[in-house]
Amino acid sequence: MNENRFASGFLVPPGVWLLLLFVVPLVLVLALSFGYTDDLGEAIYSTRLDNYERLVDPDYLPVLFRSVGFALAAVVLCLLIGYPVAYYIAIFGGRWKNVLIALVVLPFFVNYLIRTYAWIAMLGDDGLVNGLFDSSIRFLNTPYAVIGGLVYGFMAFMILPIYASLDRMDPALIEAGKDLYGGPWQTFLHVTLPHTMQGVLAGSLLVFLPAVGDFVSASLLGGPEEVMVGNLIQQQFQASDNWPFGAALTVAMMAFLMIFMLFYLRAAARETREATA
Amino acid sequence: MNGNPNRRELLQGGAGLALGLGLAGCGVGNIDRGSLAETEKPIRKRVDGDLVYFNYSEYIDPDLVKKFEKRYGVRVRESYFDSMSAMMAKLRAGIAYDVIFPSAEYVQRLRSGFLLRRIDRDKIRNIDTVYSYFDDPWYDPGAEHGTPYGLYATGLGYRADKVTGMTGSWRDLGEADSGDRSFLLDDHQEAIGMANLVNGYPLNETDRDKLEESKDYLVDLKPKLRGVSADTITNMASGNAWIQHLWNGDIVNIRYQVDNPEDYRFQKCREGLPVGNDNFCIPVNAKHPGTALLFIEFMLEPEHAAQNVEWIGYPMPYEGAATEAFQGLVKDDPEINVTIEDLENGQQFENLKGDGRLAWDEVWTEFRVA
Amino acid sequence: MSTVESRPTAPARPAAEPARAPGRPPKEFDRPRFLKLFMGVFFLFLFAPIVLVVLFSFNSSRSLQDFQGFSTRWYETFFESESLRESLVASLEIALVTMVIGTILGTMLAYGLVRARTRVSSSLNVLMLVPLVTPEIVAGASALLLFTQVKLELSLTTIILAHITFSISYVTVVVRARLVSLSHEVEEASMDLGATRWQTFRLVTLPALWPAVVAAGLLVFALSFDDFVLSFFTTGESPQPLPVRIWTQIRFGVRPTINAIGTFMLVISVVSIGLALLLPRLFGRRESGLKVLLGREAA
Repeated sequence: MNENRFASGFLVPPGVWLLLLFVVPLVLVLALSFGYTDDLGEAIYSTRLDNYERLVDPDYLPVLFRSVGFALAAVVLCLLIGYPVAYYIAIFGGRWKNVLIALVVLPFFVNYLIRTYAWIAMLGDDGLVNGLFDSSIRFLNTPYAVIGGLVYGFMAFMILPIYASLDRMDPALIEAGKDLYGGPWQTFLHVTLPHTMQGVLAGSLLVFLPAVGDFVSASLLGGPEEVMVGNLIQQQFQASDNWPFGAALTVAMMAFLMIFMLFYLRAAARETREATA
Repeated sequence: MNGNPNRRELLQGGAGLALGLGLAGCGVGNIDRGSLAETEKPIRKRVDGDLVYFNYSEYIDPDLVKKFEKRYGVRVRESYFDSMSAMMAKLRAGIAYDVIFPSAEYVQRLRSGFLLRRIDRDKIRNIDTVYSYFDDPWYDPGAEHGTPYGLYATGLGYRADKVTGMTGSWRDLGEADSGDRSFLLDDHQEAIGMANLVNGYPLNETDRDKLEESKDYLVDLKPKLRGVSADTITNMASGNAWIQHLWNGDIVNIRYQVDNPEDYRFQKCREGLPVGNDNFCIPVNAKHPGTALLFIEFMLEPEHAAQNVEWIGYPMPYEGAATEAFQGLVKDDPEINVTIEDLENGQQFENLKGDGRLAWDEVWTEFRVA
Repeated sequence: MSTVESRPTAPARPAAEPARAPGRPPKEFDRPRFLKLFMGVFFLFLFAPIVLVVLFSFNSSRSLQDFQGFSTRWYETFFESESLRESLVASLEIALVTMVIGTILGTMLAYGLVRARTRVSSSLNVLMLVPLVTPEIVAGASALLLFTQVKLELSLTTIILAHITFSISYVTVVVRARLVSLSHEVEEASMDLGATRWQTFRLVTLPALWPAVVAAGLLVFALSFDDFVLSFFTTGESPQPLPVRIWTQIRFGVRPTINAIGTFMLVISVVSIGLALLLPRLFGRRESGLKVLLGREAA
C-alpha cells in the first residue's frame, strides 16, 4: 500500500466525526444567522438578511480590533514567558522533566473560574496584595487585568506544544550550534528557534484563536470599555435571547479569523518544507 | 457592502441555505407547543417519582431540599441555569423538568405557548398565606399556572461608610462620590429600564426616540463607571465596588460575607422602582408533576418559607412567618424589603413585542460597543 | 564555512564531544541561573491563586480576606452533597472518555494530514482549524441545535460528543507540530527492514510521537474537565458537570465550598497526572528495543 493510501485511511474516522458533529452544526448556525426571533423568544430559521445588515456598522470595528489586540498581546506574553519555561524544562529538566511539566499543567486542572476568582480576591482593592503592601493600586477592571487573565488562562496551550517540539530536539544540535555560532543567543536564534518553529506556531495559534472569542476574562476582569467579540456573542445567546443575531456575529467573526488561520497554514507548510528539506 | 451586488447575491444564496435545508419557518426547539387540553389536565398531588428541579443556583436552602427528600422518600435532581434565556434554551431542547422558576414575564410567555401545567391552588395547603396581590396577577390571570417564589427589587447598593452624596436618585450611580467605584448591572433589561426611569419614561418604554435618549444617558454614564458587571456580590464584598446597581437580595448576601454588614445599604430610587418575582411552575412535559405539587406545598409551609428566606436573602410573599423572618433580617435597613406597597407602586418588566424587543437589544449592543 | 564567527567568544572545546543522554545540562551555559530565577517567579505566579484556593478551603469562616482558623467544614458540605458528588463523577467520566477518544482521533488526523498528500487532506487541514476559531458559546449553541434537530436526548453522552468534537483540533495541532519534524527516513528504514506500514506506525512513529500525544491528552483532559460553556448547552437535566455548577454558583459569591471543590479537583489531577507519568514506562521496553534497532535515540 502506498503511503498516501495508508495515511488517508487515518483521515476517515476523524474526518467523518468532524463532518457530522462539527460541520453540520455550523451549517445550522449559518442557516440560523438568516433567521429571527418570535415573540416567545424562540429563534426561527428563515431567509432574512436583517442580522447582517445590522452588522454593517463601523461601530463594531473597535470591538473587533480590541479583541484581536488583546489576543495578540496574550500570544506575545505567553510566548515570552512560556518559551523560556519550556526551554528550561526540556533542556535542563533532566530527571525532573516530567515532574516539572506536570507542575506546569497542574494549575490548569483547577477550574478556570475558581482560579480567576482567586486572582480577584488577591488583586481586589481590599485584597491580599494591596493589604500586604498597604497600597491601593487598582489592578482590576482594567485592560491589563483582562490580558493578564487571558495569559494566565491560556499559558499551558503555549508551553505544551513548544515543550513537545523542544523535547525531540537533539541536544547535540545545540552543542554543534554553539561551535558554529559561538554565543548562546546566536545558537538560540539560528538553531533552536527554527527547529521549534512548528511548536511556536502551534502554541500561538492555540492561544490566539480561542482568546479572540473569550468572554470570561473581559466580563470578570474588565472595565466598561473592555468589551470583546466574545462578550457580544455571549450576550446574544445567553441574555438577549437573540440567537440569529449571535449566529451572524459569529459567522462574521469566524470569517475574519480565517485570515489568520490561512496565515498559520502557509507558515506551517513553509516550515514543513524547510524542516524536511 | 451595500449596493455591492456580488456580496448581496452571496448572502441571498446563503439565505437560501435555510430554505434548502428545509428549515425555513422552523423553530430551533424540540418542545412542541402544547395544547390547552394538555395543560389543563389536573395534577394529582402525590409522589410520582423524583423531582427534577431547575432553578438559579444558590436559590434554595439545601437543608430544605434534604428535608423534602426525607419526608417523601424521593431524590431531588437539581440542575441550574444562570439566566432566563438559558432556562428557555434547555426547555426548548425538550428536557423534562418537573419544577422551574420563571420570572413573571416569562410565565406569561410560557403560558401563551401552552407550556405550563395548570396548578389547582385549592389543593395546596397554606396557599392562603400568599399575598392577595398574587391572586390574579397580570402575567397569569387567576393564578392558575404558578405560585410566587422570591420577590426582588432593583436599586443601588452602596457603602454607607465610604460614599457621600446619595440623594435617593438613580443618578447617584454616576454622580455620588463613590471614589470611582461605581458598577452598572450587566443586564440589558435592568440597565435600559433604569435609563428609561431616569428620563421619566415608563420602565418598559419602547419608542425608538425615547430609547435613544436612554441610550445616550447610559453612554454618558460609561466614563463614570468602573465596570459593567453582573458579579454584584463579589464586586461589593471585595471592596472593588462602592456603588453597585443590583437586586435587594444581593445586599443581604453581601452582608453575610463581610465583617461590617451594617455599612452595606440598599437604596430604592425615586424615579421608579423595578420589582418582580419568580414563580414555581410545572412545565407541560413534566414527568413527575405530583411530586412537584408536593414540593410547592412543602415550601409554602410557614417555617420552611421563613428558613428559606434567611438562606436565599430574598423576601418571599407569604404572610406570617416568611414576612416576619425577612423583616427581622433587614431591620436595620428596611429598604431592602419588598412590601406590598412596593409591589403596587413599582413597575414590572413586561414582554416586549417584536419591534420593541429588537429595539432594546440594539440599544444595549450599541451602548456596549460605544 | 561563511557562517563561522571571527571573534572568539567561546573557549575552544574538544572536537568530537559524544552525544549526551538527553537532558543532561551542558556545563558551559551560564543561562541556567537566570532561567532558574525566571522559573521560580513563574511558578510563584502560577501557583499563587492555587495556594489561595487551597488555603481558604480550610478557612473556618466564609471570609476570603482573613484566615480565621482551620476547619474542614466546607469539605464536609461538599462530600455530603450527593448532587455535587454526582457532578464531580460526571465531570471525571466526561474528561476521561474525551481524553481517550479525542487523543486517538486527533492523532489519526495529524498523521493523515502530514503523511497524505491529497486534496481531501488539504481541505481537512483547513477544516481542522475551524473548531479553534469557533467561540465556545457558538460551539455549545450549535451542538444544541444539532441534537435538537436530530432529536437526540441530552445526557452525558451528548456532552462527551461535543467535548470530543472540539478537542480534536487541539490534539492535531500539538501532535502535528512534532510529527512534522520527525525524520521520514526512520520510517522508511523500518519498512526496508520488512515492517508493514501499520507495524511501522505502531512501533516507530507512535513511540516517537508519544510525548506530544501525552501532552495533547493532558491538554484535552484539562480542557474537558474545566469546560462549562459547551457543557451547559449540551447537558441533560442532571447531573450537570462540575464546572457548570461552579459557573452558575460563583456569581452569588464564592462560597468556600467552591474552594474545597477546587482543591479536591487539584488532588484528582495530581493523581491522574501521576498515572499519566507512569504509563510511558509501559512503553519503555519498546523504546529500548527501538534504540537497539536504530542505534540512536528515537524518542
